[in-house]
Amino acid sequence: MRVITYFFMNAFNLAPLILIFPLIGVLANGLVGRRFVETDRKTGEVWSGWFGSLMAISSFVIAALLFFSLRSQEFHAEVIYLFDWFNVPSAGFRIPWALQVDTLSVTMMLVVTGVGSLIHIYAIGYMHGDPDFSRFFTYLNLFLFFMLILVTGSSYLMLFVGWEGVGLCSYLLIGFWFDRVDETGHPMNATAGRKAFVANRVGDLAMILAMTLTFWTFGSLEFNTVFQSAVELFEKGHMVEFGLFSASLGSVLTAVTALFLMGAAGKSAQIPLYVWLPDAMAGPTPVSALIHAATMVTSGIYLIVRSNVLFEIVRASGSLILGVISAPDLVAYTGAATALLAGMIAFTQFDIKKVLAYSTVSQLGFMIAAAGMGAYVAAMFHLITHAFFKALLFLSAGSVIHGMEHGHHEIAHGDHHDDGFDPQDMRMMGGLRHKMPTTYVVYMIGALALSGIVPLAGFWSKDELLSHGSDNNFAVYLMLALAAFFTAFYMGRQLKMVFFGEPRHAAAEHAHESAPLMTRPLIVLAALAALGGFLNLPYFTEGMAAANQHKPGGIFLGLEGWLEHSIQSFELTAEGVLHMPHTSVVMSRSVAGLSTLLALAALAWAFYGVYGKKPKTADERDPLQSTPIWWFAILPLNTFYMKGVIPLFNRLAHWLGYALDWDFWHDFVHNRLIRDPFVGFANFAADILDTQGVDGLVNGAGKTVRRLASVIRLSQTGYARNYALSILLGAVALVAYFLLMVN
Amino acid sequence: MPDVTIDWYVALSIILFAIGALGVLLRRNAIIIFMSVEMMLNSANLLFVAFSRHLGDLNGQVLVFFVITVAAAEVAVGLALIVTIFRTKQSINIDEINLLKG
Repeated sequence: MRVITYFFMNAFNLAPLILIFPLIGVLANGLVGRRFVETDRKTGEVWSGWFGSLMAISSFVIAALLFFSLRSQEFHAEVIYLFDWFNVPSAGFRIPWALQVDTLSVTMMLVVTGVGSLIHIYAIGYMHGDPDFSRFFTYLNLFLFFMLILVTGSSYLMLFVGWEGVGLCSYLLIGFWFDRVDETGHPMNATAGRKAFVANRVGDLAMILAMTLTFWTFGSLEFNTVFQSAVELFEKGHMVEFGLFSASLGSVLTAVTALFLMGAAGKSAQIPLYVWLPDAMAGPTPVSALIHAATMVTSGIYLIVRSNVLFEIVRASGSLILGVISAPDLVAYTGAATALLAGMIAFTQFDIKKVLAYSTVSQLGFMIAAAGMGAYVAAMFHLITHAFFKALLFLSAGSVIHGMEHGHHEIAHGDHHDDGFDPQDMRMMGGLRHKMPTTYVVYMIGALALSGIVPLAGFWSKDELLSHGSDNNFAVYLMLALAAFFTAFYMGRQLKMVFFGEPRHAAAEHAHESAPLMTRPLIVLAALAALGGFLNLPYFTEGMAAANQHKPGGIFLGLEGWLEHSIQSFELTAEGVLHMPHTSVVMSRSVAGLSTLLALAALAWAFYGVYGKKPKTADERDPLQSTPIWWFAILPLNTFYMKGVIPLFNRLAHWLGYALDWDFWHDFVHNRLIRDPFVGFANFAADILDTQGVDGLVNGAGKTVRRLASVIRLSQTGYARNYALSILLGAVALVAYFLLMVN
Repeated sequence: MPDVTIDWYVALSIILFAIGALGVLLRRNAIIIFMSVEMMLNSANLLFVAFSRHLGDLNGQVLVFFVITVAAAEVAVGLALIVTIFRTKQSINIDEINLLKG
């Protein structure tokens, strides 16, 4: 009994294990997994897959122990020192490798390892039969290892190690099937991986600059030290000295936070660096769920929430970027604009995973916007619920793709082989609710949770976020509310196209439900997506807020009471800074009601309106381009609406999706403006600079030596008397020299 | 009969040394070159002995013994080399031994 209590109270000593378990998984699967699987596929897959999953589950257990330990010591944060990474005492430069265990990092650990474990188990079923089965689990465990470094690190440098590590794993996993080529023989998966890697590097550059500036200013990269000295400096109102020049703390931190925003834009796929995420869907579906929906892409939000002290100081100092906009506001607007743009682009996609990908970009925009408005708890809350329902949606989509592929295999045994078949194209699906009943139910739960239908998880987190918006920044609120409306619409469109109506392709007719190994994790995630909102039920009235203020542990605002130990907020007074306890927002019933109504309207519109007449054949035009909305038929505005608004909107959405996003942003800016000159320069460097310039220099040096040697060697005649003569002349010269010296 | 001063010895030594040096530079027969080298050495020996007597210092005579010893060793090695070269080349013409030509 005492042992158990000890474990629960002092799990901090066990914290390093959370990193060691995935590392063991990497070593085991990386070194011997392949031999296991190749010797005996069946048992090999079981061992390889379950060992990787077990390591993830073990990390989850450690995270849970840390959770209880934090509770038992009143949420007091611990920094667990492991060893020094760098230590240059003379320069005062010391980077310890330490783990930060506080309520924020434990929240992230629980999400990462919890959702990660479910996805590991699902992947055993999904990757069944893949020749590189053990390589996949090696990468998944490696990703988990780096993601946990990212969230547990006690300094920006530790965070950056994890940041780069997950980027590497993302690259490896997007290009997991790197040998697959498209019709033109182009290795599209490998290209997608490279694109993600390069787009992330842009954000990483900003991260490095931000860290350099932070170290320059505060002399440390440790979170606690940086935040403490930032607050002290701010209270004293001192200038920051940089040797030759000095700047106010507000402007220095404005630069730091703006650079953090750029780093977050790279990792969390925000404008203008979001382009890599839709392409990243080339990876296997468990990867899309784990890395590109639930965990890695949220690290930008984690970064901003972690740095909340710096953002709040910038807000309180009133420093503006170029005198126009403050850094936190820029964060909020970037997030809101991304949410809106990506939500619109999702309208026009036919690939089941691309819809979810743009949806992820859009939802990440919600979180970034919330973090920018200072609603850090709402951002984290949405991060958690989004991890649940988006992982659920991706995994269910994977189940659908799996079912379609099996259906296709079945008909391919007949005589007609269809090479143009794409198992991810929603136009080929339809009517899958009878074929895949479990997948259908969990998908429905995920889609409704994402749309924000009461009482599923998305409703609580999204509406807490919107309530903050309507209080703090009305423009952002409007953009987000519209984006939420779009979200419900494209999810309705997707549900209808995938699961309802009649099958539009033979593969959909022969599709069948996936194995229990895949559907069981889906059911767990569906339960989480349905109930996740109860982590942080809001106060419904002012009275409740007053009665329950600061009583952590209750069901109301549970997450907020938990996270407020890691997140401070500030208020500037005449004397300096006051630390304010986190003020809870009462959920606005009008905001929540309006957004729910809008979501229902959008779902209904998609279901019975635009997609009421579902496409009969796979190549029929998307009704979004032609069908009117039935309930507007009774309005006198109908004609105007049909002839004016709808085509205009369609054209706008298509323009955004294809012209702006694809043609302009992807093809023109990225490929033509950035990639082509770069490739041109690389070719110039390789063909001209290297072969003619560098090689010429090296070969030229060799040739000069040869030419010189051919002249000099003529003096070596091989005749002994010539040498004898030179000896004699040398001797005479020496004698002459000494004689002259003597005189 | 004039007095034989030290200058005479020096002159004779220079003449012998010059004849030896020219022999080394101009002749092609390895044995002749060898003998010329010996003549150069002995011209130096003559000078040593002459100055030793002139200055009353025995060091010069001691040095001559060393030179003669080294010259004897050199003759042993050098003649052995010439015999070996003759066996391979059937000639001791020094101009035919030019393998080190650049």
